[in-house]
Amino acid sequence: MAGLSTDVLVIGGGATGAGVAWDAALRGFHVVLADRLDLCEGTSGRFHGLLHSGGRYVVKDPKAAEECIAENRILREVASDCIEDTGGLFVTTPSDDRDYADRFAEGCRATDVDCEEIDPAEVLREEPRLHPGISRAFHVPDASIDAWKTVWALARGAHERGGARILPYHAAVAIRRTGDRVEGARLRDTRTGEELDVEARVTVNATGAWAGRIADLAGIEGVRVLPGRGIMIAMNHRLVNTVVNRCQMPTDGDILVPIRTVSVMGTTDVHTDDPDDHTVRQEEVDAMLEDGEKLVPGFREARALRVWTGVRPLFQDTKDDVADTRDVTRAHTLLDHTERDGVGGFVTITGGKLTTFRLMAEETVDAVCRQLGEERPCTTATERLPGSEDGEHYVIGERLARRESQLTDDQLICECELITRRKLEEALRRRGTDDLGDFRRVLRLGMGPCQGGFCMYRATGIMHGLDGMSVERANDALLGFLQERWKGVWPILYGDQLRQARLDDWIFQGVLDVGHLRT
Amino acid sequence: MRPTLHYDAVVVGAGVAGLTAAARLAEGGAKVCVLAKGVGSTHLAAGTVDVLGYDPERVESPAEALPELVAARPDHPYALVGVDAIGAALGWFAERVERGPQPGYRYVGNLDRNQLLPTAVGAARPSALVPETMAAGDLRAAEPVCAVGLRPLREFHASLCAANIARSGVEARAVEVPLDADRPDENALAIARRFEDPAVRRAFADRLASHLREGERVALPAVLGVRDPHAAWSELESRLGRRVFEIPTLPPSVPGIRVFDALRAAVRAAGGRIVMGAEVVGADRDGDRVTALRAHTAGRATTYGARWVVLATGGFASGALTLGSDWVVRERVLGLPVRGVPGAGEPRFGPDYFGDQPLARAGIAVDSAQRAEGLENVLVAGAALPGAEPWREGSGEGISLASGHRAAELVRAEEGLAAAA
Repeated sequence: MAGLSTDVLVIGGGATGAGVAWDAALRGFHVVLADRLDLCEGTSGRFHGLLHSGGRYVVKDPKAAEECIAENRILREVASDCIEDTGGLFVTTPSDDRDYADRFAEGCRATDVDCEEIDPAEVLREEPRLHPGISRAFHVPDASIDAWKTVWALARGAHERGGARILPYHAAVAIRRTGDRVEGARLRDTRTGEELDVEARVTVNATGAWAGRIADLAGIEGVRVLPGRGIMIAMNHRLVNTVVNRCQMPTDGDILVPIRTVSVMGTTDVHTDDPDDHTVRQEEVDAMLEDGEKLVPGFREARALRVWTGVRPLFQDTKDDVADTRDVTRAHTLLDHTERDGVGGFVTITGGKLTTFRLMAEETVDAVCRQLGEERPCTTATERLPGSEDGEHYVIGERLARRESQLTDDQLICECELITRRKLEEALRRRGTDDLGDFRRVLRLGMGPCQGGFCMYRATGIMHGLDGMSVERANDALLGFLQERWKGVWPILYGDQLRQARLDDWIFQGVLDVGHLRT
Repeated sequence: MRPTLHYDAVVVGAGVAGLTAAARLAEGGAKVCVLAKGVGSTHLAAGTVDVLGYDPERVESPAEALPELVAARPDHPYALVGVDAIGAALGWFAERVERGPQPGYRYVGNLDRNQLLPTAVGAARPSALVPETMAAGDLRAAEPVCAVGLRPLREFHASLCAANIARSGVEARAVEVPLDADRPDENALAIARRFEDPAVRRAFADRLASHLREGERVALPAVLGVRDPHAAWSELESRLGRRVFEIPTLPPSVPGIRVFDALRAAVRAAGGRIVMGAEVVGADRDGDRVTALRAHTAGRATTYGARWVVLATGGFASGALTLGSDWVVRERVLGLPVRGVPGAGEPRFGPDYFGDQPLARAGIAVDSAQRAEGLENVLVAGAALPGAEPWREGSGEGISLASGHRAAELVRAEEGLAAAA
């Protein structure tokens, strides 16, 4: 078995884990970051894309609101390229409690969330699709953030600045424990089956909703995470250009986030025992469409592209005498297992939200430093991520502008998301993976209205031709992509998107007959 | 509003089913008008005539498999039209293509044996009747294949195609021959238009010849011209001194456009009228008869009086059937009852992409004479009929041709019009 020695092993490649890798790398630690799937394929890649202003929490959880606005201001600087500065609105629709607006405004003042009340008529001029019966409206600094881009920038930064090893598709199959110390983990490459023994001075469990399982592997009891499952629906265009929240106590289906070429409606909250349970229930879809109508009348007539579920990690400590080991007022939870369980070299970070990933990472690496008895200050609040050096935000027309400048010298592979052949080939070479889903997340390949109908044949052909990939692997990549895509499509297939799906069926099952490539 | 235009039959839809019904009716002497919102699936499909490719295993002989299918699935459109009608319709189609606007272009094959043609991904796809320009692709032949990629074309990847052909046991390899192009990407139709030019073909053949090996047949993406594919194809065969065949690409489909052109010409040759860009939005009724169709044409509403109506409007792909976000299926043109829709609580789709998708078999409810439920003079043809999953069965063109052809026969019988010409 191959072996590797490092300062910090981070298990879990979501925003928190990648954030820990970036933070630790900047503090001069050598890091190994591992995830059982691709980076950002769990909760971080399965949310609505909202960078919170904190507005959502000003009444219900002021502490969370304060954290959000502070992190919002920091991320706008250090991760500018991953963020589109859409701004946010809280609007009182006729379905909402009218008294909440005053409590909201008061809460914003108390928590330092920038908030300006504006004339509903002005809001309707800016966002004409919104419900015309809006009675109050507030501007807040919500924004949309591309989690895939963020996580990859964190991982790339950790590698470039601190030589971090990034290991997607490496599952932790055992935690190395000697007496009262955790000394690393055994990883298994889920694609090749090869195992890798990683010896680490500190191991960070950043697996979110799966944190209990990793803690179990370390022989640590009582780390219980209750996954809260929520569904999100991507609509095929930007029904709004500003993040729109209903001005009421946070509940299901009350937020619409414009991100990239789509807008995402979220979300529900159903407790589940299995964080890998991605079942989408018809009732949830129906309820979400109904909620969409309350914000944007005619919502149901727009094309729904996909539906997916994400699991929030909700931490519950079943150990009784540990109230002092964690800050119970925080939405996230840091467990230093030296203090909690007398087991050194192991730290668990769970809970929280994408907006506060940097803060969570900072606190986690602070704990790592404490464990190692070293003092190394955190610099992630001021260090810009790769790609964000110029401090410019992402703007929606970016790809179109780039495409127009290359019109005469590069093939367009995905018309929906404006991905060129060169860009695809570059990503294919860089990632060295044959999972087309990985390119979906990195490039947004196949994420547009046609859901891969036209680009997937082209992408498979290019991938196969590039580095002498075997035809069996190319076929599996194509078939795997079609199956994976279908999972998010069929529970919400209606209207014009059904028409699109039938066209895609004609292409793949009719003209290409890919179903019979299976052997 | 009283109709200003009167027809014996108004056909809605300009796909294979609609154009076939219209041409047959016009050939029998009926005054016919086709109203279509746009072109049908011809422009998306492979341009082959697939009658029965899978059932669910690959079908070797449609002639042998069809009687069993009809017996086992009484709700299938083939059970409705009967096996004999399929053969008659195929014969009629092949004849119309031969008489059609593309000189010398013809279809080859029959119901006795499917031909196994490679797709752009290299899968072996079974078709009953195929353009002569594709026939040499049959993967039952042992002759090695050289698949030729044309660099500006994104819709055909020769190396992937060749690699999968090789998996099916026929020796195959790929070469890439760049075409002079103004743009880095061009679609199949744009390239096909350039292949109309003999000078382009000559230059291409010269460039390709040096890449070829003894005994190889040549696979090209289907770009050998729209107006005169026979000339383009035979010229390449003679210049290269070997068999050449086309492989259908992603849409727009050049061979599909040839089908559309041939059928449109058949309608016009028989005196029928075709109005494209006409969306039918309603009907005037007299009891259980439709007396006229209202359509939006050229920015205004026009009423077309009709003794008979043939609805060849397609299924979900064309938008003629819709599933709303309330999960109700509606027939959009006339609001007709539908059949084959899974009931409340039953799955509409399955989680396996290549598995059973129950909703796909929904269609307009008809009686055994293809009459829409409750209407005496409205017949349904093509993908609007319930009971089939054409792309999975490999039966799309067969169903459209046979049901369009038979709809015309039924009207002709009722009207006492001339028998088949």
